[in-house]
Amino acid sequence: MTDRFAGTYFDGISGRGHVVELRRVGASHYAVQGDGIERGGALDKIAITPRLARVPRTIEFADGARLLLAHDAQIDAWFPRRRGMEAWVDRLERHAYAVALAIFVCVGTMAAGAIWGVPWLADRIAEQIPPAAERALGDQVLASMDRLGLEPSVLEAERRDALAARFAKLANGIGDAPGYRIEFRHAPGIGANAFALPGGTVVVTDELIDLIGDDREFDAVVAHEIGHQQYRHALRQTLRSSFVAIAAAFFAGDVSSASTVVIAIPTFLLDSHYSRAFEEEADRYAFELLAQHEESPHWFAEAMRTLAAEMPDDGQLAYLSSHPTSADRIGAADDAALAFARTHPELCPNGVCPGEEPVDDDESDCDDCEDEDAGDPADAESPSLACDKDFEV
Amino acid sequence: MEEIIAVAPMPPPPPLPAELPTAPGFERIEYPFEFHGDAREYFRIWIVNLALSIVTLGIFSAWAKVRTERYFYGNTRVADVPFEYLAKPWPILKGRLIAVVLFGGYVLAGQFSLKLQLGMAAAIALLTPWLLVRGAAFRARYSSWRGINFRFVPDYGEAYIRYLLLGLPVLLTFGLLYPYVKGKQKAFFVEHHRYGGSWFSFRATPGQFYPPYLIAWGVIVGWMFAFSITAGMLMVVFGGIGGTAPPIWFIYLYVIPLYAGYFVIWAFLAAALANLVYNNADLGRHRFRSTLKGRRLLWIYAGNTVAILASVGLLIPWAKVRLARYRAQTFAVLAGSDLAAFRAESRTDVGAAAAEMDGLFDIDIGL
Repeated sequence: MTDRFAGTYFDGISGRGHVVELRRVGASHYAVQGDGIERGGALDKIAITPRLARVPRTIEFADGARLLLAHDAQIDAWFPRRRGMEAWVDRLERHAYAVALAIFVCVGTMAAGAIWGVPWLADRIAEQIPPAAERALGDQVLASMDRLGLEPSVLEAERRDALAARFAKLANGIGDAPGYRIEFRHAPGIGANAFALPGGTVVVTDELIDLIGDDREFDAVVAHEIGHQQYRHALRQTLRSSFVAIAAAFFAGDVSSASTVVIAIPTFLLDSHYSRAFEEEADRYAFELLAQHEESPHWFAEAMRTLAAEMPDDGQLAYLSSHPTSADRIGAADDAALAFARTHPELCPNGVCPGEEPVDDDESDCDDCEDEDAGDPADAESPSLACDKDFEV
Repeated sequence: MEEIIAVAPMPPPPPLPAELPTAPGFERIEYPFEFHGDAREYFRIWIVNLALSIVTLGIFSAWAKVRTERYFYGNTRVADVPFEYLAKPWPILKGRLIAVVLFGGYVLAGQFSLKLQLGMAAAIALLTPWLLVRGAAFRARYSSWRGINFRFVPDYGEAYIRYLLLGLPVLLTFGLLYPYVKGKQKAFFVEHHRYGGSWFSFRATPGQFYPPYLIAWGVIVGWMFAFSITAGMLMVVFGGIGGTAPPIWFIYLYVIPLYAGYFVIWAFLAAALANLVYNNADLGRHRFRSTLKGRRLLWIYAGNTVAILASVGLLIPWAKVRLARYRAQTFAVLAGSDLAAFRAESRTDVGAAAAEMDGLFDIDIGL
């Protein structure tokens, strides 16, 4: 055991340093000597600063004097009973596995925060935005979308009124959500599409109306959009993707600053996609809403097939994303349609509801689409394309 | 807030070996700051302490702070003597708990009523000068060199005037008085510090704070003007044809250079202000020399930002060490007389200090 250390002694009164030697005397005493300094005493009356990297160790005397040891001395052996928490932390800092584990803990926490924390925070913020503010937000979004390429609808007024009436009938049933409103827009640059804006405005493009064959498909599409709004998906997804706004809103406690995301919403609605969980949530909502109005979820599947069939060839993927979830969603809609037929025998004798083609169960499975028989009547409007494309409705 | 630049121990101090010339010709001898920290070494400390803070839900963070400060102080030397950070974790933990309660109260108040939240905000604003003084006093008291402690002598009345009341004329003059008030605040901060028995003094007048701010403001206005014109033209070129939504990259293309411009100006301003403050702070007959360069500082900040983002934060220790090294490189004590004459405060002063030290308010709230 080392029993002598060189150091610099400061008496705590003058700034002058004294070069001294610290020496151990017996088992429990020390002595400091050199440059006119002469002191000693019991080891348990002095303290030593905890070990930390290469930082010099300091002996602290009760009267405020300090002795800086020349290097990271092996002096801990003098104080066997003083191994506190910091000594333990120091060992961790010097241990490769502990450092690796620490990296894992930190990166893991950060990842968990991004995966669960941010959506959670975003949802709490979305909850706090009062209906009036959300409404105003939706109006701003619509105004900026109008600037960005939406034009007034060119549909005939009677057609629009008829569709608006269907929409009103669907939306009226919703208890605590006033303010649902439909807007039609001509959107040559965007194509067939429908969006739910914050506050309850549903925008449907003329191009979408032109595509669909049956008004019940329209019902299905807007029911899905109402579902998005019921769960405030537009707001939540945009908030989730703008973490800075979230953090600012949360830490400033000022939810109104979250409305800065308004600039992000139009771009989001036009260019990006809801998460799969959000789409499925809105789908399920649509199935229920349709069923409440005695309409079969079959029409949702139909609308999806129609949209997929009409996907333009020029690579314009405005309402189609490339991940193959739509086959699953169509399958879910078909399943819901079967369940609807079972629970509404008065509407659907023999499990076939009015206007529906018999639904082939296999059709919903993507793997089977590839080798589908072109002659199958149910498949006439549903090329295999439908299976690996997803619509954004 | 005061630590615009300093990650490294900030209190500028000085005494020196005895064999200094006490010549009447008044030669100053320069003693540069040296920083011996190492990024890899600090990384281990940082990551382990961060992980422990996470798993203890923040409680360990007080110990982590002490270890971090000790690392940076202990690796900073003047005249071959390191600084020491002497604070104990408990008061820091206490300070952090108070901060969490205040801040949590503010956030929670927002959930219930706007009035309550405004009330909380007002309460926090009223507390701010007091907290600033407490924070400075805490840091100074536990900063030590050559066995002698620094001290910040509280003057709450003056703190409330300079950090709260003077905010009103700043608002009324649309910010024109801001550099003046900033100068008054810096003077307050410097002049209430002491090292042992010696006081710091401040030679800069508030007027000297105007040139850096005026230049910064002028450049900001010029930048915004030039930038809006360029961006507007690009918008017409790209957006004019289709009339469609600008793609998301265009928005980034717009926002990033705009903020990059502010970042550049801020780095130059920070360098100028730090130099102004330190070059005009005296300690007895000793002075300081701070030679930060805006360009170097910008380079360091920009590199640090990129490295931190690209490494999901894991290069934070590297960034801190890099900044501390540069700060030390550009900082020196200009010793004006025999520094061995430095003494601790006299016993009566120490008595007053000790009473205060043991008080209920021995807390640290980092602001």
